[in-house]
Parts: sequence; structure tokens; C-alpha cells
Amino acid sequence: MPDLPAAAWHDVSVRYPYEKRDAVGPVSFALKRGERLLLLGPSGSGKSTLLNTMTGLIPHTVPADRTGDVRLGGEPVGARPPAGWAVDVARFFQNAEETLCGMRVEDEIAFALENRALPELEIRNRVTAALRLVDLPEDWRQRRSSTLSGGEKQLVALAACLAQAASIFVADEPTAHLAPAVAARLHRLLMEGDRDRSVFLVDHRLDGLVASVDRVVVLGPEGTIIAEGRPASVFRAHGRKLEELGIWLPLAARLDGDLMKAGFAAAQPPLTLTEALGGLDPLAGEDEEKAKAVVRDFAERHMRGPTKRSDQVVARLINADCAPLFGPTVLRNISLAVHEGEILGILGANGAGKSTLGASLAGLLKLKAGRREGKAGGIAFQNPENQFIAGSVNEEIALALPAGIRNSEEILRSFGLWELRDRHPFELSQGQKRRLAFAALTAHGEWPLLVLDEPTAGLDARGAGMVTRHVEALAQRGHAIAVITHDMDLALRLCARSVIVAGGRILADGPTIDLLGDADLLERAGLAEPAISPVLRWLASC
Amino acid sequence: MLSHLHPLPKLVICLVWMVTAILVFDAHFQLIVILLAVTILIVLERKPPLLILGLMIPFALFGFGFLTTSVLFRADSDFALHVARQSPFASQAFSAGIVLFLRAIATGLVSAVFVLTTDPGLFIKALMADWKLSPRIGYSLFSALQLTPDLAAELRQIRIARAMKRGRPPSAFLHPAELMTLFIPLLAFAIRRAGRAAIAMEARGLGMGMRRTIVGAPRLARRDAVFGGAALSLLIASLALL
Repeated sequence: MPDLPAAAWHDVSVRYPYEKRDAVGPVSFALKRGERLLLLGPSGSGKSTLLNTMTGLIPHTVPADRTGDVRLGGEPVGARPPAGWAVDVARFFQNAEETLCGMRVEDEIAFALENRALPELEIRNRVTAALRLVDLPEDWRQRRSSTLSGGEKQLVALAACLAQAASIFVADEPTAHLAPAVAARLHRLLMEGDRDRSVFLVDHRLDGLVASVDRVVVLGPEGTIIAEGRPASVFRAHGRKLEELGIWLPLAARLDGDLMKAGFAAAQPPLTLTEALGGLDPLAGEDEEKAKAVVRDFAERHMRGPTKRSDQVVARLINADCAPLFGPTVLRNISLAVHEGEILGILGANGAGKSTLGASLAGLLKLKAGRREGKAGGIAFQNPENQFIAGSVNEEIALALPAGIRNSEEILRSFGLWELRDRHPFELSQGQKRRLAFAALTAHGEWPLLVLDEPTAGLDARGAGMVTRHVEALAQRGHAIAVITHDMDLALRLCARSVIVAGGRILADGPTIDLLGDADLLERAGLAEPAISPVLRWLASC
Repeated sequence: MLSHLHPLPKLVICLVWMVTAILVFDAHFQLIVILLAVTILIVLERKPPLLILGLMIPFALFGFGFLTTSVLFRADSDFALHVARQSPFASQAFSAGIVLFLRAIATGLVSAVFVLTTDPGLFIKALMADWKLSPRIGYSLFSALQLTPDLAAELRQIRIARAMKRGRPPSAFLHPAELMTLFIPLLAFAIRRAGRAAIAMEARGLGMGMRRTIVGAPRLARRDAVFGGAALSLLIASLALL
């Protein structure tokens, strides 16, 4: 039945128990065979919920009321239990490391094939092919899954999904926690290759991805479809609205929007910055200068220029050997100072020791050697749940405020959490949890140094904007901030200075713009250049 | 050497030795078991003696409990003493406790022989393949094994978060009172994690049918028969020596 879509949703709505409104829907759309479909939407718009309806995980495994009709290859999804759809649908989860179930890499990749009772020889052949496809070394077969780093686990999980050779591939924010080089590789593996495979993807990291997407479906905050079509057309026609709703746009679409406002729109909406800038080449004279001014202004909004650094050191590590709590030394002979009002970027690949360096800088880990100077700092952890101690959002902030001050309303409103004040912190979405943890940490304003571990990972554009504005405000008030991030564009936008951690030491320390323009350095550190680099190169060549 | 054996016959042999060590109340036999187990672990399997000593601490404490009970509370431990009186040490009040102490160590060492020479993954695969352990239970065990190091990492991060609120690094030692307060957040973490793992396993087809392939499950070989025969012969010979 070649005309039938790979998957189709018709008037589908989902409501979770005890909730007053639908989490998503009603929505109607289809995933065509061989299509690369990207689902966008702000936090809480029901993207993951919609993915969970695809194989019947909702309502079969996750309790919820689902109305409407979901079909896979023309067959009602309820015709089989969720496990029965594993033959047709490979699902890649956001936190792949939380979903590993095999003891060794080989077991992990073979798991779904074993469940289908395929012959052992065929499983072994498919495991070998998947290892090669993802470029994992053959000697990893017998490696214990627990010895892999976060990025390595994501790649093994990807190999396991590809080994399924399912006709539909579904991925929910697969790159949220990955270093840029690994994320780019994962996108390539997902989107390229078998053109018969349909790919249904939710992701915030759009630069480098949208060029290989066939169609975009955008959910609004109410969980209904507000735009649908080819990526370039959707971003040009609805870009402003999407930005207002807090939905991420690729940089090319944002630059296109700026150029359109100035009257320099390319005839065809661009998907990459190179395409957007290519449209300016024929310009000359006054128009050329105006266009350059637009591009320059765009670049300046996406990077932090050189700032005058205070002489006042807030925290300093001197010849320090840093180790996680009860763990072995991972960084040696570290000398690093962070100054009043400075935002320092701590960059590095997965497993480089960035979080250990951050906690050591904050004085929360005992050094194995060397010494630290300065008052203790605070940390916003990668997993925000670790910071929660109260029974409600409101109480979490109230407890963080200095004694005698119990009015948390202003803080909650500024972080967009006031409407959620009576919820338990664990009931919030991941983005909301991250904002709450950050709000609680900064509520009393006493920490002279704040270390923020991946502060915008998994946030929609609005949430990320809130966090970056608060970080800048804290720095202006004289707090020293260290931002640990995989997001090179975030580092460029926030941090005038950065350090790159690799090979158990600080590989480089200097202005972020210089470090991120050094291709050789980035390659040695397992990083990738920021998505905005083509703009910077274009401006430099003018 | 023992690590190359099929886990299930090895388990049966170890259980036979443990049951015999429990039933035979003779210090000589317990000493033979201890000597054999230590020889296997240190000489044949090259396990660090300190590791074995460390593993024996709870068994030694358990055995020491028997010893003190025998010596200090003889009237309250009639049954144990009655059984222990059959040993050559029966003439001395101390001897009954010694036998019970050695028995705890001997059973502990035999279990250490199994645990330290068996890959947990292969053991669970063998249980699923040969003893028809449900894959749902088998993969729950795999998942639990994956969870353990992550639970430790979670514990470390929660301790750092709390230390931050106190304004000083966490202490090297975990105070029992602090452990109690960590119990609920860690339980919540484990439950959430288990839920996500269950959803992922279902999405990957666990439970779609009665039949499933198990790749790399251990297979019985001649060496398993040789090991079984040798272990049982040794047991009979040891008993005959008493």
C-alpha cells in the first residue's frame, strides 16, 4: 500500500489524569513514507506526548485519555500492544543513557532484534553493520555500557535504533546533552542514509539540521498545529510568531527576518546562513553598506564583545588537581581565576571534566592538590531535581529567600513560574524545573560566584532567553558567573572569556571569539564552531 | 579459570558446598572449605587478598555474633550448642562458637567464589535461556545493575547540592542521619528511572511475543562436567576424611 502514509493522526487529543485541559490536540497530520518531519513547539506544547501516541505508549503504558485515531501504515495503533510496533518503529529517547538495558554494547544493540526472535546469526550481522554505520570500534562489543560516557551512550543507543532497520525512526530531542561534534554526527546519521525510512524528529538544535528536513509541523502553546509546511517557507511566513511563542528558529531564519525588515530579502527563503548571505552578494553601493550594517547588528546581538574585566578576583584555583566526590583526579595542575562581574565559559566535550572544574571553582569539591582562594559559590546543576527540597514551587523560592523576606511572587513571575506556584517541583516539565532551580539559586543574591551547568539545555527559546537575561543582570550586579555549556553559540553570546577543557587540563584560556575561531583547537577539544561562524567570516571578508 | 564455566552448574555446585558447610558441624570441614575457597580465589583466580578480606567482614561479624552468643549466652542458645557439641571442640565452651564462626566464613567464601568468578550479565542470560527466567525480570535485573553506579552519582550530586546550601564541601563520611534524609530523593530517582527504562524496553519490543532469541547465552561444555565431577569428588573426599 504505497499511498498510505507511514503514520497518521486524525483529530487526536490527549489529556492526562486530573488535568483540566488537553496536553495536546486536537491535531491531524501525517508522516509520509520516506519523509523527514520535524515537530517544533514551545515547552509544554505536547510534543513528547504526541510522539508517545504513535505506538500506543499513550494510553497503554502511560495513563492518559486519548481521543481520535492514530494509524501506522493504515493499521489502527491499538491493534497491537506498543511492543508489537517495535518491528516498524525505532524510538530514540532524549536521555538514552537512562534507557540502556543491556550489560554490554553488543547486548544493547541486539536487544530489539532478540525481542523479535530473529536468528542469532542475523542479529550478529546486524550488530556488526550498526557498529560500522555509527563508526563505533569493533572492540566496543564487549564493553560494559556503564563504562561509556554520556555521548558514547547516545551513540550506542543510536546504533541500537539503526540496527532495528525499522521503516519509521522517531527521535525526541536526541542532541540535548551532546557536545556539538557528536550532535552533528548524530544528525547526519539520522537524516542521511536510507531514503525509504521515515524520520519523525523533535529537536531544539536546528542549525545544521533543517537543511535535511522535508517538512515542519509547529505546535502552539495550546497543543494545536499553528503552522505546517517546508521549513524555509514556514520560518519566513511565521518566523515572528514562532519567536513570540518562544520556539527556536535556525539562525538563517532569524537573519532572513532581519534582512526582510531592511528590504533585502532573498527571493527564496534560506535554510542556511551561507544561503542567506549569498543573497547579498549582488548588492553594491549604498545597499551593500545597509545590508552589511544589518548583518553586523545581527552578529553583535549574538556575541558578547570584549568587556573591561574587574581586578577583583572572586575565586581562584592555584595548581589544583580536581576530582569528583570520591572519584579519581580528572584535571591536573589547574590555575584559573574568575573576576567580579565576569561571565566565564567552561567548554569541552562530553566527559572532559567541566562539571568537576565548575564544582571545584565553587569550592564544593575538595582539591586533591593545590589550593583555592575565595568564598564558596553556588551551582545550578545539570539535573535540576537535585536542588529541590520543598513541596511546592512557591515554597522552593520562599525557602531560598533571606530570613524575613517571604514574597516570592516577583521572582516567580520573572521566571514565568507564577502560574505553577502550587505545583510540586517534580511535576514540572524539564525546562520549567531548570528555570525553578536557577530562580531558587539566585533568589537570595548572596553567592559571589555562580556556576551554571548547561543552563539552557532542553529549554525553549523563551526559557533560554529568560535565563540569559538573568545571567547578564547578575553579572552587571557584580556576581562572577561560570557557564558550563556544550552550546558554542550560547558561549559566544554570554561569555567574553572562556576556557576549553580537554585531556585532563585547560587546553586554552582566552577571549571566546578567538577560541571558537580556532578550527584546530576546536577539533583537538572535540568541539565544533558556533553556528554563527559563517556570518563572522562573511563580515571579516567584507 | 572458573570464570569460563557455565554459571548455572557452577551455582549448583556452590550451593551444594554451602549446604554441606551448613549441615556439617565440624571445624575441620569448615577449615577445608575455607582453605579451598581461598586457594581458588587467590591462587587460581588472582583476586586481591585485600578484596577477599573486605568481602569477609560482614560474614566475620555475623560469625562473631554466633561466637559471643555461644560464650556469653549459653542458656539462650541451647539448640546451636546442642548441635555444635557434636564437634571435636565440644569439650570446651568456646569451641561451639568457633565452629559457628568458621561456618559463617566458609559459606561467605563459597558465595564469594561464585560472585567473583561469574559475569552478572552472563548469569542472567543463562537464567533466561536455561531456567526460563522471564525476560521482563531478567532485563529488570540488567536495568538495576545499570542503575547502581548512577544512583551513586545521584547521591554525590545531592550531597554537593546540600553542602552548597550549608556553604562548605560535603564531608567524606556519610552520617547515618544524612543517609536517612537522602533515602526519599534517591527512591524517587530510582522509581522515575525504572519507569523510563520500562517505557524504553516496551518501545523496543520487550514482551511482544513468547519467543525471543538470546544472543551470547552461555552453553554447556565438557569443562563444566569436569568441574562438576571434580568438585563433588573433592566434597566426598573431604567428608570421608572427617
